[in-house]
Amino acid sequence: MQQSQQAPPHSTSTPPPAPPSSTGGSAAEAPPKQVALAMDKLGEAERIIADIRIGADRVLEALFVAASQPHHGTKPLQLFLKEDACMRRYLQDLRSLGKELEESGVLSESVRSRKDFWGLHMPLVCPDGAMVAYAWKRQLAGQAGASAVDRTRLALKAFTDQKRRFFPHLDYGLETNESALKKRCGSVESTVDPKEESSFLKILPDVLKSVEKEVPNLKISTFERLDWLKRASTLTSSTNENSLEHNYPGSNKLRLGSLGNVAAEKIAVIEMLVPSTFRVVIALHPAGSTDPDAVAFFAPEESGSYVHARGFSVHHVFRHITDYAATALQYFLGNQVEASLYCLLHWICSYQTLFSRPCSKCSRLLAADKQSAFLLPPVLRPYWQFSLSKILSTISSKDHTSDITPAYHVGCFSEEL
Amino acid sequence: MTVKWILHWTPTQGSVVNSQILNEISQCVESFNAVKDGRWKATLTFYRPNLRDPTIPSEFPRDFLGISLLEQPNKYYFIIRGNKIILEADSTILTIMEKLQSYKSKVALNFEGVQYKMGDFQMKVVKVVPNQGESLRGILIEIEYLPISSIEKAKPIMEEFLELWREVMSKKSLPGHFSQAEPHFAEYKLPDNYTSQHTAIQYAAALAQLIASAQLRG
Repeated sequence: MQQSQQAPPHSTSTPPPAPPSSTGGSAAEAPPKQVALAMDKLGEAERIIADIRIGADRVLEALFVAASQPHHGTKPLQLFLKEDACMRRYLQDLRSLGKELEESGVLSESVRSRKDFWGLHMPLVCPDGAMVAYAWKRQLAGQAGASAVDRTRLALKAFTDQKRRFFPHLDYGLETNESALKKRCGSVESTVDPKEESSFLKILPDVLKSVEKEVPNLKISTFERLDWLKRASTLTSSTNENSLEHNYPGSNKLRLGSLGNVAAEKIAVIEMLVPSTFRVVIALHPAGSTDPDAVAFFAPEESGSYVHARGFSVHHVFRHITDYAATALQYFLGNQVEASLYCLLHWICSYQTLFSRPCSKCSRLLAADKQSAFLLPPVLRPYWQFSLSKILSTISSKDHTSDITPAYHVGCFSEEL
Repeated sequence: MTVKWILHWTPTQGSVVNSQILNEISQCVESFNAVKDGRWKATLTFYRPNLRDPTIPSEFPRDFLGISLLEQPNKYYFIIRGNKIILEADSTILTIMEKLQSYKSKVALNFEGVQYKMGDFQMKVVKVVPNQGESLRGILIEIEYLPISSIEKAKPIMEEFLELWREVMSKKSLPGHFSQAEPHFAEYKLPDNYTSQHTAIQYAAALAQLIASAQLRG
């Protein structure tokens, strides 16, 4: 973790080509130099603030001396005037320094989202006062409320984004832990599908519509981020909702989102409901994109503010699946980059048989979990079998009545490998 | 509500239900890595019509039950098993019945249960005792799988759990076995989503079986 305020080592960056003249401002220097300058200025600001603190002490001391020894003439008064002048100078310096920092994008809120052409953000001062040099570190420092897992996920995502932009010639997606998985599944998924087939994956509503069409008995709803929080506390099982809608024609407003109602670029939460089986909440980041960020499984009856993409169900079976889904999500983001949401949705749909399909290894439905000795149905479904090409071929062969995804208990699965 | 299956203990010919069997059953439950989760209570009352004139042939139903459940303190359930009718009423109906004096309580039974929690499953070991008295009349167990509320969906899981339960029980070689009285939910016109009405019907059915088998043994 970079603690020092010195200039970051220049050896890490490749010599940058000439910057385009479109972005304005002080873009004449290379980003590491900009960052170094900004860090210097922030250090200077700290020193000025320390001086101000000491100067305030001196002013008070001068006042005290003047008050306690009134008959010493003008000496205390001059002391006071001197300290006063010092303070005013310090404050003036601080003001101008602040203006400089604002202009270079370090302090101003609105500039935080603006990226310069390198994709690197300027060093930022977080609301809690911490100072971080790079944006991905800001995400680590600033998200004080998020759990460590979330922070790691966000950092990984931001880092991957910047790596993609800054080093496009590198083959992204081949993280070291994913390459082991690739070897395991045998056939290499290196060929990209023809453009016509995967073009529908670019637009979020199209992805959702096609999944709804391909998987019967599934209901997908979309929400803006805050709308989901309101809805989470009033969730009921699907049959109760339907009866509500039939009785009160005006209550369609209660269903805050369904595929057509929310503007596509604002969609941040996707809810998938398989009646009587499960409800899945997926968070997208950024809103409106096809990049899933978090996924969580719940029972259809669960309702409350804990029902969100980073929450955990009260039921052990869904907790296990949510943990596993996090791994699957990372796999899809790494290996099925263009179709990660599509593959994730289909993988989730394979859990429709959660309570009916016995384990492919031991042929039983219930098995005791090794750690807790609780009985669980087979909660693992291998996610590496869900690639875009495989899904499309399964759909085109019209064979989706017999879903052949194998399922494993947690204990049975590790023995399999 | 989550799906429950209620089974009743049928002792083999010549043996009785006693507290030792109850203890053995509780031990079986605890072998599932279960944690005691509290106590539970329900009551069942047989009503008999209060006929002013006994010579008039009664058109009133013979077995008319009233059930109260701990999880629904404000409700009272009436069941007429012959006609497959169940009614969920507010618990204040009891004051109305008392005022009307049209039905009298013939027999009242208490169900006293201990609840156990084991992961996503919950079990209750219930003993049937008369309202006035402590003698053990019967034993019931209730199995619940928390994540599912649809009766159809829960079937495979519950059946397999029951298999495991029977395996554990068979090791103890107790004189008797658990069986499930067919509740016939469809005939009561109840939906697939499990509710307390389903619970009431299951208890009524189980009790009817208990009484029938007790009468068989004399």
